[in-house]
Amino acid sequence: METTSKDKRFTAELEKNIAIIRRELGDSIDLVKRNIFFLGNRQVSSVLFYIDGLASVEHVEKVIDAMMFEGNEFIKRNQLLISDLQTLIEQHVLMNTSFSMIEEVEKALIAILSGDSILFVDGCQKAFHIQTKGWDTRSVDEPQTEQVVRGSRDGFTENIRTNTALVRRRIRDPELRLETMSIGLRTRTDVNIAYINGIVKKGLVDEVKKRLNRIQIDGILESGYIEEMIADSPFSPFTTIMSTERPDKVASALLEGRVAIFVDNTPFVLVVPTYFWQFLQASDDYYMGFMAGSFFRIIRYIAFIISLTLTSIYVMLVSFHQEMIPTPLALTIASGREIVPFPVLLEALLMEITFELMREAGLRMPKPVGQAVSIVGSLVIGQAAVQAGIVSPFMVIVVAVTGISSFAIPNYSASYSIRLIRFPLLIASGTLGLLGFSVMFTLLAIHALSIRSFGESYLAPATPFQPNDQKDTLIRFPWWGMKKRPQLADGDTIKLGSHQKPKPPNKVKDPIEKNKDNQSESGGEENQKEEDKSNMESRDNSDITGLRRWKKKTGDNKGAKRKE
Amino acid sequence: MKRAKFIIFIIFSSLLLTGCAGKREINDLALVMAVGIDKGSKDGMVKVTAQVSRPGDARGQTGAPIGQSGETSWNVEAEGETIFEAIRNLTGISSRRVFWAHNFIIVINEEVAKEGIGDIIDFFTRNPELRMRTLVALTPDKASEITSTITSLEVVPGEALSKLFRYTNISTLAPHTEIKDLLAAYLSESTEPILARLTLEERKIDSLKPEKGAKVNQVGLSGAGVFKNDKLVGILQADELQGIILFRDKIDSGVVVIDCPKEPKNEISVELNKQKFDVEPTYKNDKVSFNAKLDATVTVVEAGCPFSISDKEAVKQLEKSVEAKLNDDINKSIEKIQKEYQSDVLELGKIFQNKYPYEWKKMKKDWADTFANAEINLSIQANVESGSLLFQPTISGKEREGE
Repeated sequence: METTSKDKRFTAELEKNIAIIRRELGDSIDLVKRNIFFLGNRQVSSVLFYIDGLASVEHVEKVIDAMMFEGNEFIKRNQLLISDLQTLIEQHVLMNTSFSMIEEVEKALIAILSGDSILFVDGCQKAFHIQTKGWDTRSVDEPQTEQVVRGSRDGFTENIRTNTALVRRRIRDPELRLETMSIGLRTRTDVNIAYINGIVKKGLVDEVKKRLNRIQIDGILESGYIEEMIADSPFSPFTTIMSTERPDKVASALLEGRVAIFVDNTPFVLVVPTYFWQFLQASDDYYMGFMAGSFFRIIRYIAFIISLTLTSIYVMLVSFHQEMIPTPLALTIASGREIVPFPVLLEALLMEITFELMREAGLRMPKPVGQAVSIVGSLVIGQAAVQAGIVSPFMVIVVAVTGISSFAIPNYSASYSIRLIRFPLLIASGTLGLLGFSVMFTLLAIHALSIRSFGESYLAPATPFQPNDQKDTLIRFPWWGMKKRPQLADGDTIKLGSHQKPKPPNKVKDPIEKNKDNQSESGGEENQKEEDKSNMESRDNSDITGLRRWKKKTGDNKGAKRKE
Repeated sequence: MKRAKFIIFIIFSSLLLTGCAGKREINDLALVMAVGIDKGSKDGMVKVTAQVSRPGDARGQTGAPIGQSGETSWNVEAEGETIFEAIRNLTGISSRRVFWAHNFIIVINEEVAKEGIGDIIDFFTRNPELRMRTLVALTPDKASEITSTITSLEVVPGEALSKLFRYTNISTLAPHTEIKDLLAAYLSESTEPILARLTLEERKIDSLKPEKGAKVNQVGLSGAGVFKNDKLVGILQADELQGIILFRDKIDSGVVVIDCPKEPKNEISVELNKQKFDVEPTYKNDKVSFNAKLDATVTVVEAGCPFSISDKEAVKQLEKSVEAKLNDDINKSIEKIQKEYQSDVLELGKIFQNKYPYEWKKMKKDWADTFANAEINLSIQANVESGSLLFQPTISGKEREGE
């Protein structure tokens, strides 16, 4: 990367400035140069530079309008002199646009390349940097990879401003901070770091910044680049940084004291630090009732265990430990394998690879031919392979259940890391039986225990065990039961007022106490209005809910009796 | 770092070099479902019959080849000087590796049992591939026939045999002896083994015209064999067995049939529920005696004569006759094993040892004699608790009087 433009500054001569821009940006077809005569005056010429497509045409038109006509009347009427051109334009011409003055060539180049316009006026030492960004973007859409039944339907887009705004809209906290930097020597991609001051752990933001600043790369095209450049254990099959398309997930992570990293041009936002168990938690868990949420979460844990181990256990049992299979099941398995020519391990690998092929093909192929693959795939795997005697029906079931389970894991990157570590486990148990399975499983467990995500243990809060965090790990406690933020948060750790568990109002209370309660508790406006409306005679001090009053009006004898 | 990578590389490549050691696919195994042990053709030889299931036909799934013999099992016999040799010889016949872990039952011919089953117990408990929960049974018939008899209910004959024992805890028809029980009894200083007996019975299969039609052999439970050390010494018939099984306290329920008090031609059946059997040993003046106390709650399940649960007199009478009947039955069985076979299958030695550990040290040498001469006092208490759903006697409405 050349550094000639680094310390260069603009001059007062228009021609020289134009020459600088021309030299730096070349004769690109989308670089637009517009000559404007200030207020139609041929003596004061000015030039506007912008990139076609990045700058919004509306904005540019407005600037040109202002420069050529709008200021005209005003200046003529007030007999203002065109002596201090810069102040004049600053104060009286460019009033409908936001702009700043810059001197450095470097800044001007970046401004042009990010969609802003640069205005040179003959005789002015500084250039006008006018905000004209505006290009076509995808609108806010439902996230494609993380869908929910209940929950917000907006997902991140490719525009970083839209993305940060989506999070801002959820957290109207003045403590929510966004810091910006640009990474990539050539792409100069905007990267924003979001966190909530006062919740985030001390030093975490600095660590994130430090790691981001360390990156020296020519281009960042997706947040995956950054994910790999800042990961704690680069060789691990586990993903230690969560990426998500859902603004509500990012918002909840920020409230837990995590840091979000927004990258321009991608709808995937990174969240650090990440615990492994987060990958098994879906947004739905928190939006549905806590019982349903906990149940589905447990289902997902089961899916995780199945997708990781089922094929291996099957292979291990069938080829080494037949005595561990119940007799009727052993007969069934044996009958299915009667004419299968391959060893179980090979059969399993064959099926797993076929499954992966189908998944990959389904992902890549153009949509119109999708039907063909699914039909051929289900025919080949489901029927023909079994009938031809190449695989046993049991293996088809095992692989299918494993595959379905791996799709039940809500985060795609976690699902493929599990799919990856399944293969060493499968080969180990297929070659050494239970011994291989347990050794490989232990190795994987040790590895998962050893890695960290931004200083936090990857398997927390299971190990190290955090008693308070268990409320939101295997099951989800009701909202009124989770008083504290996770261990990760610092500073303001209480997120819930006391006595938040809802309950029906007490029926009988001491009238005097009642009065106090009534005044303090019924703060709602509606309640107040209702009471005003109601007859003063029928006002009952021991009536909080208005239920008894209602009963009285409708002439319920029971209510009246109880009052006596 | 480089070294670590090298070590990991070595570990992973060594996985590929294992050549799948010890690997055998499930369809390369001959799963043995039942074993029969008979005398060999020559003296001192033993014949082992293994019933191997044929999964293809036992399950008949998609993918199973067509054109097999259609039988669910394949019975092979082999002879040898010892069981192990016979089994080794089996591999010469079987194209698949003979696999014993799924064995349901071991059937021993009584001729073999009379000469001693010590080697059988040893073999079937020494080998780790064999399960300790395999059932063991005797047969007066050929063990090879018993194991290969096909029932119409279960797919694999061995499974059918083992399922005969499934409800023995309520039917009191046979002791439920697994190889681990057999081993425990054999190793015990006092207790003797008892094994269930299986016999082949001819049954007519045509239910419409039973006298005509084909006959088929069916295996059934019939009594038990009593051992002394490892030798079969005697047989208990099914009716003699209930007392013994009650004594060993392993059952959940049993049936006692007694005559009606007023009409001896008809019978009342009662079912034993919640029985509690306490055996208390006493040792006085060098004499061993046992006080056995049976508290049983009984339910009337079938009354052949009018019986009302509210008739206290009748209930008391019924209780008495149940007690008498049980007393009779148990005493008869005890008499037989005590006097005739002198075999302590009742585990009385164990009970005695628990209470008198010091005396036991002297006694254990000739426990068999002591047991034969020990006095066993039986006291039985039966409580008729309910008449099930019927509280009133079932009498035809036309014959009812009064009202």
